[in-house]
Amino acid sequence: MSLRGVRSFHPAVMLLYYVVIIIGFMLSQHPIFLMVGVGFLLCTQFLFDKGRQLKSWLGMILTLAAFILILTPIFNRRGNHILFYLFENQVMLEAVIQGIMIAFTLVGILLAFISLNQIITQDRFLYIFARISPQWALLSMLAVRFVPLLKRRLMEIEEIQKVRGFSVTKGSLKERVKNGMLFLQALLTGSLEQSIQTADSMSARGYGQQKRSHYQAFPMKKQDAYALLFILITGCLMIFGWWLEDSVLSLLPVLETTKLEQRECLFLANWALLLAFPVWAEGKEVAKWKYYLQKI
Amino acid sequence: MEILSAKNISFTYPLEETPALRNVDFHIHKGEFVVMCGASGSGKSTLLHLIKQEIAPHGQLAGTMFYKGEPLHNETPPQDIGIVFQDPENQIVMENVMEELLFGMENKGYRTAVMRKKVAEMTHYFGLSHLLNKRTSELSGGEKQMVNLVSVLLLDPDLLLLDEPTAQLDPIAAKEFIQTLAQLNREFGMTILMVEHRLEELFAVADRVLVLDQGMKKMDEQPREAVAMLQDHPVLQYFLPSSSRLFLHYESEVIPENIPITVREGRDWLRTKHVDSREISQIEEHSAPYLTLNEIDFQYKRNTSPILHNLSLTVKKGELLAILGANGTGKSTLLKVIAGILRQQHGKIVINGEKTKKLESGAVSYLPQNPALYFLEDTLIAEYKQIIKKHKQENGEAQIHNLLSKFGLTALKDRHPADLSGGELQKAALLGTILENPAILLIDEPTKGLDPFSKRMFGDLLGDLRNQGLTIVMVTHDVEFAANYATRCSMLFQGDVSITESTSDFFKANTYYTTVMNRISRKTSATPVITMEEAKDNWHVQKKSSSS
Repeated sequence: MSLRGVRSFHPAVMLLYYVVIIIGFMLSQHPIFLMVGVGFLLCTQFLFDKGRQLKSWLGMILTLAAFILILTPIFNRRGNHILFYLFENQVMLEAVIQGIMIAFTLVGILLAFISLNQIITQDRFLYIFARISPQWALLSMLAVRFVPLLKRRLMEIEEIQKVRGFSVTKGSLKERVKNGMLFLQALLTGSLEQSIQTADSMSARGYGQQKRSHYQAFPMKKQDAYALLFILITGCLMIFGWWLEDSVLSLLPVLETTKLEQRECLFLANWALLLAFPVWAEGKEVAKWKYYLQKI
Repeated sequence: MEILSAKNISFTYPLEETPALRNVDFHIHKGEFVVMCGASGSGKSTLLHLIKQEIAPHGQLAGTMFYKGEPLHNETPPQDIGIVFQDPENQIVMENVMEELLFGMENKGYRTAVMRKKVAEMTHYFGLSHLLNKRTSELSGGEKQMVNLVSVLLLDPDLLLLDEPTAQLDPIAAKEFIQTLAQLNREFGMTILMVEHRLEELFAVADRVLVLDQGMKKMDEQPREAVAMLQDHPVLQYFLPSSSRLFLHYESEVIPENIPITVREGRDWLRTKHVDSREISQIEEHSAPYLTLNEIDFQYKRNTSPILHNLSLTVKKGELLAILGANGTGKSTLLKVIAGILRQQHGKIVINGEKTKKLESGAVSYLPQNPALYFLEDTLIAEYKQIIKKHKQENGEAQIHNLLSKFGLTALKDRHPADLSGGELQKAALLGTILENPAILLIDEPTKGLDPFSKRMFGDLLGDLRNQGLTIVMVTHDVEFAANYATRCSMLFQGDVSITESTSDFFKANTYYTTVMNRISRKTSATPVITMEEAKDNWHVQKKSSSS
């Protein structure tokens, strides 16, 4: 991800952008809208780092999607079109479509969060939220940082105790549960000690005595104003489309056709435009490099 | 000019009856380098924390401290006192190095331009530029501590407090850290007050030594005077530099100015002497191999570089093998492979003639680098009882009590492991591993954070256990500890054992990676030795006769 691309925009603008995208995924309950959305977000991920970050999440996202795709038709039996019978239960076309839509919504929101995580790094997060509540912003940052520390420590405890014959993977269920509890207890006492030291180190360096300043100043630039305008216009149009029910597929009482009418195509184009923003910002940089290399 | 002074400081922690500090007086002048030492529990950390008002412990404080003429513990704490703590890891707050360096300055509301300039200057001076974009979790202990120091220095302190900053570092990183401090003091006039027990190098750079004993100031002297006064102290004599201890052992008349405190002074003194030394006889032990590692390969992931490669190693019964090597050569990994925590991809491990494909519990005990992680129960005694129950040992209770008194832990048996000092904790965990009745004991970095006296106690315990037939494999950075207690030493290099020799041959053959005593005695009239004990046993030191 280049510093001239998406990251050159003000963090607050990018945060707003992803909030609008997530709202979009929740409102636009139409398979085509959702698929277009997921498509664009995958594209963004690829432009950011060739999908490396995505790869580590892929397993989780796919299992989640598969579960929803299978379970929704089994539990949801409302609708008019019976596809087939499964163990003497009807499977409805409406429920299948519903499953697809929920799955895509979830995948879309997760992808949006992954992108957001890449763009809003720790210092940017602090910058945005420290203005609202500096104490809580830093506290939440520390809590987030604590998670990998705890994970590493727990692994150490497991390794050491494995040699001693205490394990959570072997033995009777009762033993395993008991060992697990003991490990957690050891983990917590140890970690509390550590966090006291961290707190000391923070206050020794003047934390919380006065208003913090920020090394990375993010001034609002012209491009941020344009981006903001763009996000507001396309965002409002997107919400307008939902209000008109053009970006929503109605399943009940009568199943609407998935084919798009003219006005609906217009809203789809608007949604695509909104989604294309990071693709444009990052793609521009990628293209620039390609061109630059060719010139040499 | 006086920068810090204390008048009759007494301090008592809440719910404690005995005070942690009693009537302590001291003065520190601008530009001084003062080292504060004392056995664990002598109140040195408490005193240091009291000076830094923001983190002062709660309790009853009597007496006053003055910083730059103003009494401390008023409403606003002075802004120009910086402190670096012991554990390099727990002090770090942010995710990457640059953010960590900026953390303090941002807290104090510096402007961006100022921060930029200061960070640029400091990272260049301390050679941290290559670390700026790294994640803090990827740094080595020495690098972490250097980042901690610089992030404090960025706030322009006039007084720098350090609480055992090198205790968790390996000897080479520790030496570098101390050199940096000496440079700060010499060239920039930084006033330094440092609590430390790694005094081998510190005596040469310190202006004054403050000694605390059970909450009272025992001494406030220049290093050489301090050496003269501490020579008979039951605990603190082991803290002194090797040169001084050697000198004090052989010289009957002690004039403080003559006491050597560096390797060079020690060697110069030794050269003025005539040393008769007995030929040091070596007893080669030919016992059968007990643990054999054959062509071990290990790597964490398929696409990462191998940590261990084609490693073979033999350990004899009843020996203490020390495995030495630089950071990242795979020492700890090797220990974990032997312990069965990690599984090698190639090669086999044979213990006492039996191949250990699957680790049956009880064959091997493992004492981890952080002994606190060994404990699961709330008190030591509960932990030990649980071990006995698990291993179904007969008359286990009696054995626990035997060992407790032997290890000097009887009084602490109802304590929580987290309330023990570093040395006590290490011993307590060792006791646990012994109760498991292992064929082989594996120890990872046992001397990290221990003071010299605790090291000695721990080493002697290991020696006793070895004499009773226990086979011990130890991974360590600590050259001095290995020289004193190991029977053989192995050097790990690029994932393989490059050499295994008897301890004495190993260190005598090394020029740089060797003990202080070896460096002192090399190229003198004396037979080179590697430890103080060896010198005491074999040397007869006389004045050089003027004719020769």
